[in-house]
Amino acid sequence: MPTFTYDGKTIPFEPGETIIKAAYRQGIEIPHYCWHPGLSSPANCRMCLVEIAPPPGQRGMMLDVLEWDAAIGDYKPRQKPKLQPSCQIPAAEGMQVKGDTSDNVKEARKGVQEFLLLNHPVDCPICDQSGECKLQDYWVEHGQYQKRMRDEPIHKPKAVRFGPSIVYDAERCVMCTRCIRFMDEVAKDPVLDMRERGNLNEIFVAPGKELTGHYTFMTEHVCPVGALTTVDFRFKARVWFLRTAKSVCQGCATGCNSHLDYDPRYNKVYRYRPRDNEQVNAYWMCDEGMVSYKRAHEGRLIEPRVKGSVVAVKKALAEAKSYFEAVPGETVAVVLSAQHSLEDNWALRELAGAYLGTRAIYATGLAEGYHDAILIHEDKNPNTRGVLELASGVRPFSSLLDDIEAGRVTHVIALGGETPADASAELGERAKHALERLQALVVIAAHEGLLAHAAHVLLPAASWAEASGTYVNAKGIHQVTEKAIEPQGASEPAWKLVADVGQALGYDTSWTKLKQVRARWTSAPTVPDATAVSPSPQASQTP
Amino acid sequence: MATATFPKKPPSPNNAYVVAHVEPTPATQVYLPEIFKGLAVAMRHFFRNTKEMVRNERPDPVTESIAQGITTISYPEQKRPYPERFRGLHRLTQRDDGSPRCVACLCCSTACPAQCIFIEAGEYPEGDPRRGYERYPVKFVIDELRCIFCGYCVEACPCDAIRMDTGLHAVPYDSREQFIYRKDLLLAQASRDGSHLTANPRHEPGDETHPGVTREHMTH
Ligand code: SF4
Ligand code: SF4
Ligand code: SF4
Ligand code: SF4
Ligand code: FES
Repeated sequence: MPTFTYDGKTIPFEPGETIIKAAYRQGIEIPHYCWHPGLSSPANCRMCLVEIAPPPGQRGMMLDVLEWDAAIGDYKPRQKPKLQPSCQIPAAEGMQVKGDTSDNVKEARKGVQEFLLLNHPVDCPICDQSGECKLQDYWVEHGQYQKRMRDEPIHKPKAVRFGPSIVYDAERCVMCTRCIRFMDEVAKDPVLDMRERGNLNEIFVAPGKELTGHYTFMTEHVCPVGALTTVDFRFKARVWFLRTAKSVCQGCATGCNSHLDYDPRYNKVYRYRPRDNEQVNAYWMCDEGMVSYKRAHEGRLIEPRVKGSVVAVKKALAEAKSYFEAVPGETVAVVLSAQHSLEDNWALRELAGAYLGTRAIYATGLAEGYHDAILIHEDKNPNTRGVLELASGVRPFSSLLDDIEAGRVTHVIALGGETPADASAELGERAKHALERLQALVVIAAHEGLLAHAAHVLLPAASWAEASGTYVNAKGIHQVTEKAIEPQGASEPAWKLVADVGQALGYDTSWTKLKQVRARWTSAPTVPDATAVSPSPQASQTP
Repeated sequence: MATATFPKKPPSPNNAYVVAHVEPTPATQVYLPEIFKGLAVAMRHFFRNTKEMVRNERPDPVTESIAQGITTISYPEQKRPYPERFRGLHRLTQRDDGSPRCVACLCCSTACPAQCIFIEAGEYPEGDPRRGYERYPVKFVIDELRCIFCGYCVEACPCDAIRMDTGLHAVPYDSREQFIYRKDLLLAQASRDGSHLTANPRHEPGDETHPGVTREHMTH
């Protein structure tokens, strides 16, 4: 790999890569506002200027400048090397680049900071970016001057609604055009543009249009300052109170990598932010995914129930045992869930295969929905591939209904509250009647849903935000989420509840730690010989 | 039979030494003379205080600790003047229109070492001139029982919205609930000179003095 040097450090690069990107991949940040690794580079903020030594045998380009000399009280002519934007100059073999070590660069960065802050209202207390703002960070690193402008700053429109989800503040905008370029290049919906010049520069939405669609939240996340805020998050929390867990979006089979920001003091999740992963989601997430953090608190099941009334966990387990006494293995079925992690599903499959001796394995999950060519997948479950990996021949939800109606299945242990029937009235009606015919339905679920409502015994499972888990996305990539908040109410990780149910039924289901679960499924990848043929647990594919 | 054993006294550290040791004398061991000495001191103060009170010769309470005078005052009829920078109970300052200057930035509750400030931020309702670009405290609660009166909240506030210049100190309420000061009470408390406003005004968006621009799409 060819290399160049930045401040004496050797940095390898792919041919054609810009200096800033090569340095970024090495973990060296050259200060920047307008550059974003996933967008084109207009080089309009000039924060990333660097000094590049001229090629051997050539003279560098010099600029004549006048510099104030306090000693003689007059301006003095001087020559300065011409600085170049590292976000647009492709790296070249042996190039010598100076950033922090060059006084000219330092002066330029300070100048750019001062320029950007000329009219910027320093209203950090009411700005939601506070604590995550590049203007603050770089001011501390490269600014630290006294403000020289004594005039009233130019005032520009504040709180302009760009659409249902985004509010714009022109005073805070540094005109980096990242939002414009994002809508243009990634979302392919070029509704944003810039108007006016100089001091009156502002971003606006194309007349007669609104900033809507499936990728409006991303404009807020690419904005390096607090000019764009989302209606969903603004004024809700201060970022310095939030802790972050590396998570995976549960919204669809794309499995976008994300940061789940939560407040440990209130055990509450506040937002999703995209996490860079070139292989999965690059730097982006969709709007539906970004608001799906709310599912950590909405529609949650947090109490064990027996036939709808709240009981203690012990009581619920005893109840489950009484249902399953002296039941022939053939009539017992288990239902895996594409909404749950690999660990949870493994535990249930293990219970089914090794202990219950059932071969009837079914799967549920949400029905298919909207998809596009950018990120959003039609499969709305984060772990369909994972379920198929564990039990390749699982049968869809509708064939569970068939089997119940035909009397082949009378006892069910199911994971996950949601089914494809939740979205369709017709299937829902049928499922309701079928589930009523069951003699026993034990459901381990984190969220409300048809199965959870029909359950005889309901055990509350921890949601993806409350337990670490592995999810396999549509491309087959295994991704592990971190635990964020503590389990709410009486909820516990589903794999643990499965073990408890197994023990209540008298089996030696001995996994009590996440480590054990992971070690066991990787060492013993036995797949029970499920007899059915459907390639996907998506029941919505059947009528 | 097992007897309860108390933990042993830890050994003295190596660098420990006795500061002073008073040899017991017959006078101290009998203790009665010492008691009479103490009573004599108390009676001397009692008669001097009574005499000064009757003759109206009370010394200035500020210099009293220096002067050889009376060392008690008849609180609460008489109060010691507090120093200029005394930290009284909190108040929230108001703008001219009576709205709180606080923008719910949570800087004070972040700085507070006792973690006794709770704030819930919110957006001004539709139609308010500050709607959209300014936050305000929907809830602002200070637990004055937990407060250690360090004044960090006042230092931290970028808006001069919280002050400790009421001149009030916590009076002995009879329930804990009464020490929980909420937004309305905090806004209603005045500074020592009776003002609800700040001594530190500035022009803000929404005020008439503010030289902002207006454009057609600014309203929402
Ligand atoms: S709104 Fe933000 S992202 Fe868009 S140009 Fe302004 S500063 Fe850049
Ligand atoms: S594309 Fe799918 S996984 Fe990615 S953010 Fe959207 S819903 Fe979540
Ligand atoms: S005075 Fe100190 S302890 Fe009391 S509220 Fe302010 S910061 Fe907290
Ligand atoms: S009182 Fe001051 S520091 Fe506290 S939230 Fe309000 S504006 Fe911020
Ligand atoms: S980052 Fe290079 S000019 Fe803006």
